[in-house]
Amino acid sequence: MRWTSRVRFLFLAPAVVWVLLFTIFPLGYSLFIAFNKIDQTTQVERVKEPVLDEAGQPVLDSKGRPRTKNVVVRNTVTTTEFVGLTNFKRLFTDPQVHEAIKVTLVFVLIAVPIELCLGFLIALLFNRPLMGRSTLRAIMILPIFATPIAMGYSFFTIFYEEGGPLAFTGIPWLSNPNWALFSVALVDIWQWTPFCFLVFLAALQGVPDELLEAARIDGASGPDILFKVLLPLLQPTIIIVLLLRIAEAVKLFDIPFALTGGGPGTATQSFSFLAFRTGLRFFDLGYASAMAYGLLAVVMVVVLLFFRRLRQSYG
Amino acid sequence: MAERGAAAQLRWAVFSILAIAVTMAFLFPIYWSFSQSLRNPLDTFTVAGFGIPWVNFEPTLGNWIDQVGTPETMHALYNSTVISIAAAILALLLGVPAAYAVARFQFRTWKNQDITIWFLSQRILPPVATVIPFYLIMRTFNLLDTHLALILINATFVLPFVVVILRQTFLELPVELEESALVDGASYWTAFWRVALPLAAPSMAATGLIIFAFSWNEFLFAVAISSQNVITIPVHIAGAVDTRGVQFWFMGVRAMVAVIPPVLIALIAQRYIVRGLTMGAVKG
Repeated sequence: MRWTSRVRFLFLAPAVVWVLLFTIFPLGYSLFIAFNKIDQTTQVERVKEPVLDEAGQPVLDSKGRPRTKNVVVRNTVTTTEFVGLTNFKRLFTDPQVHEAIKVTLVFVLIAVPIELCLGFLIALLFNRPLMGRSTLRAIMILPIFATPIAMGYSFFTIFYEEGGPLAFTGIPWLSNPNWALFSVALVDIWQWTPFCFLVFLAALQGVPDELLEAARIDGASGPDILFKVLLPLLQPTIIIVLLLRIAEAVKLFDIPFALTGGGPGTATQSFSFLAFRTGLRFFDLGYASAMAYGLLAVVMVVVLLFFRRLRQSYG
Repeated sequence: MAERGAAAQLRWAVFSILAIAVTMAFLFPIYWSFSQSLRNPLDTFTVAGFGIPWVNFEPTLGNWIDQVGTPETMHALYNSTVISIAAAILALLLGVPAAYAVARFQFRTWKNQDITIWFLSQRILPPVATVIPFYLIMRTFNLLDTHLALILINATFVLPFVVVILRQTFLELPVELEESALVDGASYWTAFWRVALPLAAPSMAATGLIIFAFSWNEFLFAVAISSQNVITIPVHIAGAVDTRGVQFWFMGVRAMVAVIPPVLIALIAQRYIVRGLTMGAVKG
């Protein structure tokens, strides 16, 4: 029909302008910051000021001179100095950055595959007739929406090594650097396996029964059906879930913030966490922006790898 | 199937028990916090078994009364509610017309799916890349520690959800209804406002709830922007731990206060969650 009217731009414009203003502009600004060294110095000055009475007249002391008081004046001066690629060069030599990349990478490599596999297995389980299936499914959704920061602290009490509910295992959940990273991954697995489960279940329920029946009649075994029928059919869904999980997992921030504070040492200091601390705790804004751009580049690569698939599913 | 009835029933029972066990394992952390919130502080580490109220310990509402009534908690609840509602409304106002545009109209230079993916890509953007410029911009405009700053930020960050989910909704509505309105001389705006929008209302409501929950849970920007006035629930939780160490019994209460609203939303908006979380790439 006539769905080509110019009115379409009016419908689209507010959201586009908004994104340009609140996402693209900040990103550009961030790039500008990354090429600069921003220093904030607070100059503290003591100034003697005459004391005034209510009428605005100077108050005199016993010798007849105006009384003065000391006033502290704080002046925050921000200086911006162009430093070229310095901040980006620092990324390559900073051991903290390398450590944070390693932490994030190990986290992604532990959490994401487990989430997908476990989610798929639970989806297979829930794809059969079960007692109270819809109630159980509803409960399974809850972790996805539970406030990550709150659950981080909640898991802190669960992993507590002296008297927590998992203390009987004798595992140093949070005090050993390797275990601490695994514990962080475990919280993420707890939160996001249900997401993988939910999406895979939706996809499995879309598989026509006749197809499985036909495969069975042809004498296909259980594993045959899984690997030759279900997995190929679900491949597009699996790729989307994988993309979304990787893109989300590399942003890891809330869980280590609450659960371990990045520790012990820097064992669970993820890349986002390091960038946040560098920028907004130590106020090395230029360097933190360079870090953020590093992460952005990685996410872009991941997205581009999946881009064609993504474009198809919105076609 | 009749001769296999007994075997099938056994399988049904075994798999049901397995499914219940899996579900309970995933519910445990939330349940544990709830259990802790009901314990007398002295019982924190001495409770046996699964910490079931009345069975393993005598529950008390003392922690709830001590914690929920404090001005800090009330203030944080107020802030989180105001910010999340305002951000959801703003994002819907901006996003729904855009979703309608990509669902119905035909764009040429930039194809419809390119526009959709452009919106979607912001969701994939690491928030730490925008938190620093946002902080500086808000400081320049003297908006640090204001509701407005967090409303603007949260609306920006949930906007792609609105566009992508509502696009799918509009695509599934029969276009004939709007077209017959257009034939009758209605404007595009009327077709959108009077015909499509009422039909999309349930999906809009569900999307509103889901993005409310996302803003509610948001922590990175909240902790960067707030210092006193606009402490949200997640920042409140983190701050309380900073000053007092983890007091398990109060932690339980605060975690529950934070978790209950988004979790209730998850139950209400269940049907839309798959679509919402996969950004419409998978139909639930």
